[in-house]
Amino acid sequence: MDEKTRQDLLKLFEGKLNQAMRLYLETCSRCGVCTEACHVYASMPQAKYIAAYRAEIVRRIYKKYFKSQGRFWPSLGQSKDLTEMALEELYEAAYSCTGCRRCMVYCPFGIDTQMIMSIAKLLLVGAHAEPEILTMLADTSIAKGESLEIFREGFLAGIKRLEAEVVAKWQSQAGDTVIPVDKQGADLLYVALAGAHSIIPAAAVFNAARENWTLSFFEAVNFGAFVGDPTRTKLILERIVGEAKRLGVKEVCICECGTAFRVMKQLSGPQPFQVSSITQVHARYIREGRIKLDPSKNPEPLTYHDPCQIARNAGVIDEPRYILQHLASDYRELAPEPIYNWCCGGGGGLVALGEETLDFRMKSSRVKAEQVRKTGAKTLCTACENCHTQLSDLNQHYQLGLEVKFLSSMVAEALVP
Amino acid sequence: METIYYLVLVPMVYGAFVVFGLGSVLRLAALWRRPPQPSTLRIHARRAPGWLGALADSFLLPTVRRHNPLLWVFLMIFHVCLLLLILGHLELFKRFEVLQVIEHQVFLGRGLVGLALTLALLFFLFRRFVSPNRDLSVPEDYYLLILLLLTVLFGSQMDWARSWYGYGELTVEDYRAYLMSLVLLKPQLPSAVTGSGHSFMLVLHVFFANLFLIFFPFSKIMHAFLALPVNKLRRG
Amino acid sequence: MSQTIKADKTLDLKGLPCPMPVVKVSKGIKEVQVGQVLMAETSDPGALADFPAWAKTSGNEILDTVQEGNTVKFYIQRKA
Repeated sequence: MDEKTRQDLLKLFEGKLNQAMRLYLETCSRCGVCTEACHVYASMPQAKYIAAYRAEIVRRIYKKYFKSQGRFWPSLGQSKDLTEMALEELYEAAYSCTGCRRCMVYCPFGIDTQMIMSIAKLLLVGAHAEPEILTMLADTSIAKGESLEIFREGFLAGIKRLEAEVVAKWQSQAGDTVIPVDKQGADLLYVALAGAHSIIPAAAVFNAARENWTLSFFEAVNFGAFVGDPTRTKLILERIVGEAKRLGVKEVCICECGTAFRVMKQLSGPQPFQVSSITQVHARYIREGRIKLDPSKNPEPLTYHDPCQIARNAGVIDEPRYILQHLASDYRELAPEPIYNWCCGGGGGLVALGEETLDFRMKSSRVKAEQVRKTGAKTLCTACENCHTQLSDLNQHYQLGLEVKFLSSMVAEALVP
Repeated sequence: METIYYLVLVPMVYGAFVVFGLGSVLRLAALWRRPPQPSTLRIHARRAPGWLGALADSFLLPTVRRHNPLLWVFLMIFHVCLLLLILGHLELFKRFEVLQVIEHQVFLGRGLVGLALTLALLFFLFRRFVSPNRDLSVPEDYYLLILLLLTVLFGSQMDWARSWYGYGELTVEDYRAYLMSLVLLKPQLPSAVTGSGHSFMLVLHVFFANLFLIFFPFSKIMHAFLALPVNKLRRG
Repeated sequence: MSQTIKADKTLDLKGLPCPMPVVKVSKGIKEVQVGQVLMAETSDPGALADFPAWAKTSGNEILDTVQEGNTVKFYIQRKA
């Protein structure tokens, strides 16, 4: 690596060093309490998968360039030069971490490994050594935000075709707009994903609850966050913020996507609208009597996987359980305490990397498969597309014999007219 | 020899405290000059109020108690004993009536506190020799433990000699004369401090303690100051 | 026009979870030569929106889009 590249990367590093990051980098005492916290370590006990070890890979570079000990006594903390080899280590640390923050529950100081890994990810972006597919996805999202006209017509035509499916299954009254798009003065902006499965059931529930809603032109997921690029994350986020402000909505409802919800909820700053997950909105509809569900539709034992970014990291824990009380007759908890739930093993962009990471995702999530198997559930539902994909892969790989479902789809299926 | 004793017991002590104080303040100031994190870093489903929860997390180490109870026992012993020893050292400056609830001369615990601390340090040191903790450890971790162990051993020896074997050459009055003179910036070394049979222990104790203080602001021991604010982030 | 376009490779991307439609189309395009055509079929509205944006950022060209029933076929030419 030439000196110019190194200096540029160190500038990126420096930009990440806010108060919280400094606290996280300075405080670790390498006590090892986090050892058992990581599902990757629990499934494949190798030191490199311990949270503190991952963090130390970033910390060694920090000590070298941002602490005096790196200059005067580099061996003290084994500080490390930023080289090509260091980048490879950073890659392995960052892309074997799903950012679930389970280790944060174990750490006596509450150090956020995901946040430390965001330095590694940013350095990789700066060195053009990140998984290029994630950057490509992020850039595609940004391009959509820049030029609505290139896809507007195609998108609207696609939505029209979906409306027929919603009407056929849920008998919305003909004449109503079944899936409104770009509706000025709507109360709620629903931000979905690419697949029809994230739009059709949601539309059925919104219409059943007589919500004044509209569908976003954009997809909720934020690949900028996966690849750890703050600039791209912000551009992708602002598309939706801009649309919500333009339409004057009171609420932005994010579909079943953990990253999308956490990024929107925690990074959008103070806005004239509130941010909710679709799970929260559904729970509210039930509480207010706006929709009714038939629990006899799900007599089989059922369990729910708390997506890390929605539950542990954004606090939506009670709502899915409230919905499930009205939805299933034999609900079983996956983890006695939801904040200790194992990560599905697909977060942090791993699922988006597809086949490339499949082998690692399956091996590193053995404990997840065991946790699910132990409940004896026949149905496993969740509220995150990323988790859903990973859990479906696990179901197949470990032959769990489950049906993996989306919570929102189950709500739609159980609607009582 | 006299010169070495003098250098360790007087200028080095001043130097160590200056480095410790200035270093800590500057390091903390550098940290807080940075912009704050714009978004929450909270872990949810922890319902205690933020600061109270962070205090409990920092001082009672509930996560360690739950996930590594043996380590927790030693950590609690270590930190409580450390606190008792700091109080004991204050008594080497002057008598504090509040501490005389349990009547004693100086240092509560009749030497057992130092012993417990020694055992805890040995535990911390030996657990680092075993994988996977060995893989996590860097030289700093060992140096700090060894430095503390040396400090505690030489310090405790003096306490043990006095309280277990009735050693009387170096008296509490001698320590007070020496330490108060340091505080008043009129350093003097009573002849018992430099000339008794246990003086070399005192000098070594002070020497290692000085090194530890100098090391403090640049090491992970800064967690003493940082544990509370970093825990607050998790509590939101 | 589509009658005259011959696809060198076809991909069925209907009903895939996020973000597989774009991931697969972007991998698929690398499997044809520059100048050749990839046909990607989808029914998901999000994918309909993603493909034009993806083509723009990746520098490939959508020659034509054809609707057949509920699905849409994208004919994409690899440019670089």
